[in-house]
Amino acid sequence: MSREHEHAGMAEEKSSGDAFLRHAGRTFLLAMYTALRSLKLYPIENATAQKSLDDLQTASLALLEPQGEIELRLSGDFIFVNGTRLRLELDNYASFSNTLAALRTLDVGTLRVATGVERKEWQIFLGVLLALTARGGDPDPERLIEFRDRLALGSVNHIEVDPPLESEDKVAEAEKAREVAKRTYSHGVAVTKDLINSVRLGRTTSITKVKRAVQAIVDQVLNNETSLLGLTTIRDYDEYTFTHSVNVCILSVAIGKKLSLTRLQLYDLGLAALLHDVGKARIPVDVLNKSTGLTEDEWKMMQTHPWLGVLTLFNMRGYGEIPYRQIVVAHEHHMKTDLTGYPKAIRPREMGIFSRIVAVADGYDAATTRRSYQTVPIQPDQVLREMWENPRRGYDPVLVKALINLIGIYPVGSCVILDTFEVGVVSGANPDQNFMNRPMVRICIDVNGALVGPPGMEANLAAQDGAGAFLRSIVKVTNPDRYGIIVGDYFV
Amino acid sequence: MTEGMPAAVTLPPSQVEELLRTLVKGLRAFQMYLPNNPVYQRAGHNVRAAFQPLWASGLDRLTLQIVETDIVWEEQVVYHQPNKSESLAWTLFKDGMRVLTLFPGVEEEEIVKFLDIVQRARTLAADAGDDLLTLLWEQDFALVQYHFTEFTTDANVPGLSGEGAYSVAPPTDPNVVESQKEDTRGKVQEEAPPRKSGVVDVEDFDSTLYWLDEAEIRAIAEAVAREYAQDLRSNVLNILFDIVEQRDEPWARSDTFSTMETYLPHVLNAGDFRSVALILRETRLLVRQQELLRADERERLDSLTGRLSEPAVLQQILQSVTEAQTPPTEDDLGELFRELRPAGLETVMVWLPKLPPASAVSVLLASSADRLAETSPNEVLRLLRLPESESLPSIISLCGRLKLQAAVPGLSDTLGHALASIRLAGVLALDGIGTPTALSALERPVDDADREVRIAAVQALGRRGYKGALRRIEPVVQGKVPREIDLTERMRFFEAYALIAGNAALEGLTAMLSSGGLFKRKETPEVRACAALAIGRLKTPESREVLQRYKDDKELVVRTAVSRALRETGS
Repeated sequence: MSREHEHAGMAEEKSSGDAFLRHAGRTFLLAMYTALRSLKLYPIENATAQKSLDDLQTASLALLEPQGEIELRLSGDFIFVNGTRLRLELDNYASFSNTLAALRTLDVGTLRVATGVERKEWQIFLGVLLALTARGGDPDPERLIEFRDRLALGSVNHIEVDPPLESEDKVAEAEKAREVAKRTYSHGVAVTKDLINSVRLGRTTSITKVKRAVQAIVDQVLNNETSLLGLTTIRDYDEYTFTHSVNVCILSVAIGKKLSLTRLQLYDLGLAALLHDVGKARIPVDVLNKSTGLTEDEWKMMQTHPWLGVLTLFNMRGYGEIPYRQIVVAHEHHMKTDLTGYPKAIRPREMGIFSRIVAVADGYDAATTRRSYQTVPIQPDQVLREMWENPRRGYDPVLVKALINLIGIYPVGSCVILDTFEVGVVSGANPDQNFMNRPMVRICIDVNGALVGPPGMEANLAAQDGAGAFLRSIVKVTNPDRYGIIVGDYFV
Repeated sequence: MTEGMPAAVTLPPSQVEELLRTLVKGLRAFQMYLPNNPVYQRAGHNVRAAFQPLWASGLDRLTLQIVETDIVWEEQVVYHQPNKSESLAWTLFKDGMRVLTLFPGVEEEEIVKFLDIVQRARTLAADAGDDLLTLLWEQDFALVQYHFTEFTTDANVPGLSGEGAYSVAPPTDPNVVESQKEDTRGKVQEEAPPRKSGVVDVEDFDSTLYWLDEAEIRAIAEAVAREYAQDLRSNVLNILFDIVEQRDEPWARSDTFSTMETYLPHVLNAGDFRSVALILRETRLLVRQQELLRADERERLDSLTGRLSEPAVLQQILQSVTEAQTPPTEDDLGELFRELRPAGLETVMVWLPKLPPASAVSVLLASSADRLAETSPNEVLRLLRLPESESLPSIISLCGRLKLQAAVPGLSDTLGHALASIRLAGVLALDGIGTPTALSALERPVDDADREVRIAAVQALGRRGYKGALRRIEPVVQGKVPREIDLTERMRFFEAYALIAGNAALEGLTAMLSSGGLFKRKETPEVRACAALAIGRLKTPESREVLQRYKDDKELVVRTAVSRALRETGS
């Protein structure tokens, strides 16, 4: 790097927290690698070894002073220092790899260094690390326990090691799935927007795009439903009609998956769900987006959208054949299972299973969303409770159960207060079915009341301490607005 | 590049070129021939064989880049067809495919399906709702992988909130940060209930919610089965009719009617007579509800049904009914035919003779024709006056069978038709009707140029005893009409004469039978025989007595006729 570039780089580092962390984190990691290598090659009395320990202490203090704590987290092929990903470069990647390999051998996923760490603690830490890694072999949780024990014996109180939050592959996979999910979701919204606007303007629209979008959603739900379900928590006020349609599509397909529908059945269901509100394209925009309460006439107008959807779908060009199933769902999704909803059925009718699924997904997403005529969203758990307990809502109880089965009693997106006084957002059902009431949570506010930026700190509420007590439990569902938490931020 | 290819694999590009040539040939064969055709089967065999050298070389997958009109393997063009309409590469490329990967085993089944889909994609209409990708997706291939580019440009895809930056920017001032932390901590502690013992209260949720029991799973499975077994067309039609009934805004009804008008041909095209019947049934009920629809709406809805009776439409319907692989049920057909309007009568009458007489379609259609003819005399008359209409013989016959008195003027007109067969049909129909007006109309064909027509008319008049006809028949019997007639026709005239004139004819006929006396004209044996037969028709004691006298006549033909006449009189 030329001097000029280096200078420019320093200026950038000062101006950005991330840049500082990247620079200081890199220095710290390199110092650790150098010290590790020196202690391996030289006796402790050796000047080189001593200097490397000095450098490591200096590097750690450089981070600790402004940050208060160092958290070195290994995730897949990435290294994060206090949440900031370090960039691997040609001149440092080998050093990073070596250090990571040593930590991984002992099943270390996170290394925490607290303020007050002493040079001697580093010496003991590195010594134990070297001794244990010298044995070779695969990563083993038992060795982590031994590592911790030996650190405790050496009175290393300011350096902690924890296992990985998840296996590296899983993290990498989850990261990739999240990226794909984001693309799929954004694409779905764009296609829906194009469709609705085309209908509104009387233009022809490409059904092929809609089909492609739904196929992508089905694929994504089949491969990794959690990542896409998380995105349904995005509440974009301005794009409500479009995001709502995509959310209902995702939730419906995910419910369908729970019910073991085939891939092609999920496709049919997904198409119907994405198009269920297409009739709203023919409702005047000022009624659709009215922020104050709707008048009785406006409500009546809103209630025309199911049959307007029927006529719209009938006349939508580009279908190889008439989209019958989608028409039926557009018509029935507000009817309620006992047909007391709207529109009224004059001729004998039984609400189809696809309509009932879409109704559940629609009701859930609509109630939990802030939209034009519902400025205060209802908390997900309350919505589910109401859907489950109030038969007059007209949802199929079995499908509500399926929805709860899918997203848990604390659904994805629920903002919860934990008994640790942390505040978090539920990010998914617990993968262990024995802990369905203990979901995965992303901590957004830590025990000190500090906001933890997106994506938050992932916590498994099924985690227990040595005595079998749960480390964290939900004590209350709360309104994220109260804490300035934008739930959607934690899923993108 | 071919991913995962072992380094040792050496495969000449010509092998891949050969495979692609074979695939293109296969594509053509699959396009032109049915699966049971030897050419199709040979193409399938060739495609399978063309993969063998590739897999034998150790290749674990074949990854092809699609570059407009080229297909590239290992950076070498292995397929090039600049003519886009013929190019396999272009077919793949234009819908967004950029990489195609085939795995060993693909040749067994999936490659044929793949080529079939490619062929379908080629022939899709410009506004079709599918493209290559959506069609391939539905197949869920295991050994065919592909990468597509998306249509939507990045500019159209909205960013997700939170991308790139926090929606709420965190404060940077340490004092503010600390103060906010305090504030937040206080709020959390204030809101949170007292710390619990580490588990969520079991009362907070119902653990059975997490599981669907056997009965629920079964109920869902049954509901899904019902979803796919239902008659979707009927379902959506019921929705449309519900909308008509519920929405009284003129534009809403107009939109719904437009939809129905557009939809009806789809239903017909699908040969879905159940839905057609449903449309007709519901339309009929709605049109009857005076208070529900405005006059113009009733008229429009009614015209929807009326369209089915338009000759061109009805002809298509009847054609599809007769050609349907799965014949429509009698109920559905009955519903359809019951709604036919008079405008459809001509088409029905053309089709009826073409149908197997005892078939359900024929019986139901004939019944519909009867109804239409009985209720639409004007249409019947109109058709009877269309000398060129293909339906004329059938409609004439129908008039007779149904004894449609109102049709007599039209039938009379048919007696002047150029074709003897039509005139004959007209005679038979008028005979069937048998009213004085109809019989009166039969006088004219007594003098028809065609023997069959004359005989039919004379027989009819005789059988009916229509006295008005005597003035045409008697001269023929008495030989006063200079006409060449054969024995059979003469016999019919004599018989008719007897039947019409009754005992009053006995004297004259006896005179003819006894031919040859002094001052009497000598009749031929044939005339005498005819007179004998005619006397036999009188069936009176006097007539029998006359016949007895001539039973031993010297002329064989007379004796035979007398014997027959006596038998018929019961002697």
